Amino acid sequence: MPKKKHLLNTAVMTVIMLGIGLPLSFSLSVKLNLLICLLAIFYLIACRVSFKTAIIVLLVAFPLALGSWWSFLVFGTGDRWHTAWIYGTRVYAYLLLGMTVTMTTSVKELLFSLEEHLHLSATFVYGLLAAFNLLGRIKQEYRQIQYSALIRGQVYHLWQPGLYLRIILTALNWSGDLAEAMTSQGFSEGEPRTQMQHDPLPVWQWGLAVILILSYCWAAFIIRPW
Amino acid sequence: MQTVKNNKRWSLRDVIFLAIIAIFFGIIYQLWSYAYYALAATPLKPYANDLTLGVWIMAGPLAGVLLRKVGASVVGEMLASAVEMLLFSSWGASTLLSGFIQGIGNELGFACTGYRNWSKTGLTFSAIGATIVTFIWDLFQSGYSQYSLGLLITLFIIRLISIGFFAGVLVYWIQQLTAKTGLIK
Repeated sequence: MPKKKHLLNTAVMTVIMLGIGLPLSFSLSVKLNLLICLLAIFYLIACRVSFKTAIIVLLVAFPLALGSWWSFLVFGTGDRWHTAWIYGTRVYAYLLLGMTVTMTTSVKELLFSLEEHLHLSATFVYGLLAAFNLLGRIKQEYRQIQYSALIRGQVYHLWQPGLYLRIILTALNWSGDLAEAMTSQGFSEGEPRTQMQHDPLPVWQWGLAVILILSYCWAAFIIRPW
Repeated sequence: MQTVKNNKRWSLRDVIFLAIIAIFFGIIYQLWSYAYYALAATPLKPYANDLTLGVWIMAGPLAGVLLRKVGASVVGEMLASAVEMLLFSSWGASTLLSGFIQGIGNELGFACTGYRNWSKTGLTFSAIGATIVTFIWDLFQSGYSQYSLGLLITLFIIRLISIGFFAGVLVYWIQQLTAKTGLIK
């Protein structure tokens, strides 16, 4: 996989994403939603993310946006058209905000950046990393759980506790093995670690994050455009 | 066989355990989202939200009853939503925010019992807590405040049933099954 590029530091982007995402939930402006979408699209283009993946992600979300928009026309009260457009565009504002982080960085980079700049504990960083590295095996295991049930003439449905028991047993065994393996390789919980890689974060980026979040809140709750 | 010990601190093992469960949930969410999408593309979207919400909330109380720690529901639900956002979400940034809100709802339920009951009572409170907290959140986040009162009442009842079954009854059954194996003390 080609290395993903990002212009701003990953930790800063995460803070911007959540810092704007939270007030976004309370703002009632179509114009601001569209502005967020536009800015996020510019950032994604500047980071040269895969055009094809971006289009697919945006298309997949279309039914959700359509459903939101439509439901307010049918069930809404008050200014139905305004409400419909607020919540229809909000789906895309959230999605594109999320994409500025998920499409420009890898899980590993994100975790290391959060560790260095936002002090996420090393136990969480390396624990999560260990689990994410098992992603392929976990998908395989899920299929295997279903197949082994089929051999016994059973089908596990998503509402049957047996399926979850199998999942829990797998998670118990694997997490025990992994944690022991990591400890025996020298990982100590709660101890300071040597940082082999440095993730640069110029101070102006924090400034940018603060300005973006504050100006969004000011626009959303004081100016309140349509 | 390995067993899990309960103490207050988060060990490496707990984190990996919850993260692996969260990734399994990521796969399960993906399967559910097909059913969700069929309804969500129509004006019936609020019904789709509330009918399926219980599944999205399960990870929190399950983490709570398995680890029996203060904060386990929030961390479990946050992990599941982070995995979902990183792997295959169409909700983007709102996934993490909703995950946090859902986790808080469950956590409040367990907190009501003083973190002493992790069985029927705790799960009942946790399901009620999650229903109320997520409903208030959706009044703003999903614009439920714009719907008529009749629809709101219907949605609240559907949500309570969905969360009550998946994040209450089903989690209780899973806990009973797990307890029989004797692996979690």
